[in-house]
Amino acid sequence: MTELEHRRNFIKGVMLGSAALGAAAAGMFSDTDATSPKLGVRPAGAADRKKMAFIQWQPHTVPAAWSKGIEEVLKTQQTIDYELLDGQNKVEVQVSLMEALINQGASVIFLQPIDSVALAPSIAKAKRADIPVITLNIDATEAHAAHVEMNHYYGAMDIAKALGDRMGGKGEVAILNAPPGIVIRDQRTNGFVDGLKQHHPDIKVVSDQVADWDRKKAQDVLNTILVANPNLGGVYGVNDSMALGAVDVAKEKGLIGKMVIFGNDGEKDALESIEKGELTGTQYTDVYQQGRFAAAAATVLATGAVPASAFGEQGRLLMPYLIATKETVGEIQPAQRW
Amino acid sequence: MAGRYSILPLVGFFILVFAFFSFTATRFASATNIENLLSGFSFVAMLAVGQAFPILLRGIDLSVGAIVAVVGMIVFDLSLIFGVPGWLILPVALLAGAAAGALNGVLVVYVRLQPFIATLATLAAYRGLVYSISGRQLVPELSTTPLRDPWIIGLETYFDVGRFLGISSIVKLPWIPLSFVALLALVAVLQLVLSATRFGRDLFAVGGNLEGARLAGINVARVTVAAYAISGACAALAALFLVARLTTATEALGIGAELTAIAAAVVGGVSLQGGVGTVVGPAIGAFLLGVILLGLTLLGVSQFVQQIMTGVILLAAISYDRLLALRVRRAGPSL
Repeated sequence: MTELEHRRNFIKGVMLGSAALGAAAAGMFSDTDATSPKLGVRPAGAADRKKMAFIQWQPHTVPAAWSKGIEEVLKTQQTIDYELLDGQNKVEVQVSLMEALINQGASVIFLQPIDSVALAPSIAKAKRADIPVITLNIDATEAHAAHVEMNHYYGAMDIAKALGDRMGGKGEVAILNAPPGIVIRDQRTNGFVDGLKQHHPDIKVVSDQVADWDRKKAQDVLNTILVANPNLGGVYGVNDSMALGAVDVAKEKGLIGKMVIFGNDGEKDALESIEKGELTGTQYTDVYQQGRFAAAAATVLATGAVPASAFGEQGRLLMPYLIATKETVGEIQPAQRW
Repeated sequence: MAGRYSILPLVGFFILVFAFFSFTATRFASATNIENLLSGFSFVAMLAVGQAFPILLRGIDLSVGAIVAVVGMIVFDLSLIFGVPGWLILPVALLAGAAAGALNGVLVVYVRLQPFIATLATLAAYRGLVYSISGRQLVPELSTTPLRDPWIIGLETYFDVGRFLGISSIVKLPWIPLSFVALLALVAVLQLVLSATRFGRDLFAVGGNLEGARLAGINVARVTVAAYAISGACAALAALFLVARLTTATEALGIGAELTAIAAAVVGGVSLQGGVGTVVGPAIGAFLLGVILLGLTLLGVSQFVQQIMTGVILLAAISYDRLLALRVRRAGPSL
């Protein structure tokens, strides 16, 4: 995909998102029931209630913020019961929860799949039961109603550019990475490495270590990396928790201001750290908004006005993002911070 | 001694819990839900049944979850990278699981490690092995390629019993998954081994009194290695059905499964003091945990509460086991 296409997709994404929100608003405020021939106000009887649920990967700031965004949109529609379910970081638990929701006759299922292939049979099962599935961040190999994703690859490319600029285009960087086997890890790592190649070919990745998405683990790992690479000039944490772990180490060793540290996601703690001048930057995505987009699409699908099968192919929305640094972090409003 | 624990209270409790959810949770007693229960927890039951053997020897097998992942990845690699036909993969997978389990037994017997330590070490080692042989890492595009071999995917099959019996028009029966049929066969065979063979008697003897068994001329080493190998083979069987259900294997497959398996075995009446237990019990224990999980989910109870409930039930089961042990002790030596 070229840069131009990427921009185009980005704009398309924004437009699709706003259209979905608008359509949802229409669905929210008109009480017409598209599935029955009778027009007029629908009584909100108990039998009429729709159930929607979000199966998250495991408790974390990102799915928690999605869930909050989803809830914001859904709770204004008083006929929808919404529930957050925990996948406990196990594919088999997610599969079991999918089946329970299908059995309950859920109207829409939001899913953050742990694995793209492993959840595909469950998504196929949901489709057979006429239940639209909307995936968040990790796509599934089985086509489904819609997919709303952070822009991992291009975001990481932009991080590489910003990080390289700060380092003056040369030096050594380390990556604090997620455990293998997750698509996001590959997209963010590849985006970062490709970005360096394209914008700053003189910067070398001297270390790429697994720190389990975790702040404490990242501290230990970075300390070890620094022993072997005392000249390290930059660190990329594949999520903010790991980047903040790197900040902890830099503080302890008096490297704040000398070492360039970037994270990814844009959670509240990271933004505060940027404002304090500790963390250099991060890729910020409005995760509340991502949840709202998903909920908006779900509303449209659940009213039955537009069934999931009416779409020739799966809807796909890439979230807009901002590379937040000390200069730009002020643009992010308090209500957008998660 | 084997008769100290009757499975009747467990069966009674199971029926009670099942009835409770049938009345309180809508759609709990539906054919689809029973189907979900059978297909979702048969593999947990297989792990629990296997786990019973080390526990009968006063041991434990913490590595079963990691063995599930290793076997899953072996199936993945053989099928997608090397194109080995499924009929050949199935026995290879079972053998690999048995070998991984036997290694645990060898560490316990010949290196004289505490079972807890030995299997904790292999848990870490097998997990590392999974990452290093992962076909998803070696050939990245395979991470989005589902398994298609009919021998493997065919394990995820359902039988329409109602139609077979010709009563589908009267009552809607759940379709029975092949994994459940396999579990029934596994339980039948292993229960027979346990209660009607020399090996079974030796196992109870070693678990009840190790020194006594040794003095009686029982080959303790062989019994121990065999028990851990059975646990490994059961984990391999569970892995096959799990991989068929997911159409792939992941590196994180089976993380934490050992705890569920141990919980199910203990709830199923296998005493942690060794020498007491059945194979049927752990299987029922696994489904009991499943009934509780599905029932509470359908009731809309928070999953954190569900985890607390699982812990409480486990504590209750262990306390009950201790109580029985104390009562036996008070009644004097049973020999």
